[in-house]
Amino acid sequence: MLFRDAFKTSTRSLMRGKMRSVLTMLGIVIGIASVIILMSIGQSAQDLILGQVQSIGSNLIIVIPGAPSNGRFSSPASAQGIVITSLQERDVNALEREPSVDMAVPEVRGQGSAVYGNNNVNINFTGSTADFFAVSNLGKVSKGQTFSKADVDSGNHVVVIGPDLANTLFGANVNPIDKIIHIKNVSFRVVGVLEKGGTGAFGVDIGNIVVMPISVAQKQLLGITYYNVIVIQANPSYDINFAKSRITFALRQDHGITDPKKDDFTIQTQADILSILGSITSILTLFLAAIASISLVVGGIGIMNIMLVSVTERTREIGLRKAVGATNNDILQQFLIESVLLTLVGGIVGVTVGAIFVGLTYVVLSTFFSIGWVFAFPISSVILSMVVSGIAGIAFGIYPARQAALKNPIDALRYE
Amino acid sequence: MIEVSNLKKEYVEEETPTQALRGVTFSIEKGEFVSIMGPSGSGKSTLLHILSFLDRPTGGSYKFQGKGIDEMDDQELAQVRNKDMGFVFQSFNLLSRLTVYDNVEIPLLYSDISPSKRKKTIEEAVKSVGLEEKLYTEAGKLSGGQKQRVAIARALVVDPNVIFADEPTGNLDSESGYQVMEILEALNKKGRTVVLVTHETQTAEYADRIIRIKDGIVESDKKIIAVRDRGAQSLK
Repeated sequence: MLFRDAFKTSTRSLMRGKMRSVLTMLGIVIGIASVIILMSIGQSAQDLILGQVQSIGSNLIIVIPGAPSNGRFSSPASAQGIVITSLQERDVNALEREPSVDMAVPEVRGQGSAVYGNNNVNINFTGSTADFFAVSNLGKVSKGQTFSKADVDSGNHVVVIGPDLANTLFGANVNPIDKIIHIKNVSFRVVGVLEKGGTGAFGVDIGNIVVMPISVAQKQLLGITYYNVIVIQANPSYDINFAKSRITFALRQDHGITDPKKDDFTIQTQADILSILGSITSILTLFLAAIASISLVVGGIGIMNIMLVSVTERTREIGLRKAVGATNNDILQQFLIESVLLTLVGGIVGVTVGAIFVGLTYVVLSTFFSIGWVFAFPISSVILSMVVSGIAGIAFGIYPARQAALKNPIDALRYE
Repeated sequence: MIEVSNLKKEYVEEETPTQALRGVTFSIEKGEFVSIMGPSGSGKSTLLHILSFLDRPTGGSYKFQGKGIDEMDDQELAQVRNKDMGFVFQSFNLLSRLTVYDNVEIPLLYSDISPSKRKKTIEEAVKSVGLEEKLYTEAGKLSGGQKQRVAIARALVVDPNVIFADEPTGNLDSESGYQVMEILEALNKKGRTVVLVTHETQTAEYADRIIRIKDGIVESDKKIIAVRDRGAQSLK
């Protein structure tokens, strides 16, 4: 039997039961649409997260205390909440002498409550130098100004806050500049309010940020002498990996380390972070797609079920076709084409439904929510979906098709 | 053309064997019109199914055009059914949602006749049974007699050497039955072998030979003067 004839015969059979064909396809449509939607949304989330990391600049290097972890995805000890005091002021001084380093900005972090009048808000605060704002791309203030190097050197009790916090503490109609707030019972004068800007690098909530001179944060609020992190802006005329090796060398010298295995600090470039985050988000996307593919399997079983019913209903037709010369392969081919057609058409509809949903998600998220949602519709997911649809058609169609092909012609003709 | 010798068929249902054919021997020459008669359960339909390659015997031998059924696999049997045999069933076995044209086309789908020659072949076959005006009518909308004529056209379309008809008038009124038998008779006149299974004597007498089967064996095998040769007008 010519493939053309088999295709025509199969198409006619499916068209004879349009409603049944559509309902049978529904399982595959939902399965494929789920895969497309989850893969696209996963890709969008990945692009969003990676975009935020990229926004900190490719020449940024982060130094955190504690030895590098062995596992690719396990975080250094300091990031797990273990107090490590290896990063000190002398390290910043040593790094600033290094020609490949433009700026070395230490940071300390803590939690507490900010109080103004009767308003009391829980906050996360950051103590840093005046360069913090330049390094973190947070230089724009809507009111006042950022604090200066002199404020840091003199240990002035000044603070720069985010616009949402300003609104919560002072209300919309009060100018926060020069107002005094209390953080952990220490008074601070508000010198600047940052511009509204959504979420900053690494998901920092700019709206509620509180930044003060590092000297004050260390001595008055935290009672520590070490740093939680040093953010380095590398000199752009140096290769980033060269700068990384120079920083490593400088810190080892400063800490008297000769055995590289005994490093008490971890250095990460943007590329390192991107690589790790990229891997994590890819795994998450695949995980989501794997969950979605369960519905694809359910859809496939639905097709197998309906095909089996169809084979039973058309037993006499199979008998007749065999009586007038159809071979087992002809019958197998006809039913296999039917199931593959069902899954392929289901796949195309599923991709279309998925694309519409992904587009609507983008429109809604970018219109009504001020998060920088990225539109992503990976072609790989479309190709994967179509290949999976075709394979599902064969995998779930082969059993019913074989059942049809192996029927004895005379038994099939006598079937009531 | 057809040689059967000591042909046996045994069915086993629920561990109980049933002998449908218990040693049947005869031969049919090319161009003969043979009726196989017998009461219900005599084994006549089983015999026709084996003769038409729809079933295999469990004993004895059967040669069709000199080649034994045992020498052929399922694929070869399908090819012989397609090229050399035409089938007419009591219950027509048409696909009711397809048109007359599409029903008659079915055997051609499995033949080596090229798609470009099909249309003419189908039109000629349908014309030969007098249904050219119903070519694109759905088979389900035809009368019983018309349906059986479509079935005959479907049997003829591959120009077979032999036509097997299993109770072709069984579901028809006498007028339609008469028309169908006239067509089969005309086909035989043109040289085609016709093997007919029936339990109706009047229908059987269109043939020039009647093989009577009873309890799975040949009870009698007689040449007769066919109705057409008796000068009888018809059974009308």
